[in-house]
Amino acid sequence: MGIFDGFGKKKDEKPRADFSNVQSGSSTTSAVPPAAGPGPDFRPTGTTGTEQSYTVVAGDSLSKIAKRFYGDANKWPRIHEANRDQIKNPDLIHPGQKLRIPGA
Amino acid sequence: MRHSKKIQLSLCVALLIAAAACRGNTGGTTGTAGTTGTAAVRVTDVTLGRSLGGDKAITDRTETFKPTDTFYASVTTEGAATSATLRAKWLFEDGQLVDESTRTIAPNNLERTEFHVSKTDGWPAGKYKVEVFLNDQSAGTKTFEVR
Repeated sequence: MGIFDGFGKKKDEKPRADFSNVQSGSSTTSAVPPAAGPGPDFRPTGTTGTEQSYTVVAGDSLSKIAKRFYGDANKWPRIHEANRDQIKNPDLIHPGQKLRIPGA
Repeated sequence: MRHSKKIQLSLCVALLIAAAACRGNTGGTTGTAGTTGTAAVRVTDVTLGRSLGGDKAITDRTETFKPTDTFYASVTTEGAATSATLRAKWLFEDGQLVDESTRTIAPNNLERTEFHVSKTDGWPAGKYKVEVFLNDQSAGTKTFEVR
């Protein structure tokens, strides 16, 4: 037993559950606001947005994720485009990264 | 003695100034939450269930789920705004974060927005909670259970 075993932990503390592979998404009956700029919005009201989010797990690649969400691995650039802010190199994604998955 | 009276007088003056400043602040707050155009939007309902209809309403309402279920939370909003942000924060047991998703909407009267989470290897049994935020203000909480 190490000297730090149990240090700072309550006696009956349960191990934390692993939620790293949770997949989430959302959609709405509402129109989606324009991304930027004051230009007119010609989209009809009632448009259904279907962007989802996905947390990267070990062994994932953009093409694998594209295959899962779009049924076509070649659509990976769509996910890359939507996540330019956090994916500089499309061949390098990390477990735990939360990606935006645009609607198909 | 004269010195302590001076201190008391100074304290009284300071208290009067502080009280006046407080009154000024209260009068200047209008409750617009700092976001133009979203004051009229409000969350009127949050429902939970296992499946969803095309109108984003829950079709199979429940607060007791199986480990293999997908959790759906349908959030009803009323009011109109050019932009409003809804956020769903899913928590497990003592507050462990399960997931957090945000959606920006441009509501026009009655709208529904759904958030869902799933876990391929199954949810651990226990108590869960989903808290919904509208423009970063808590707008409703639902608790549920996985058995």
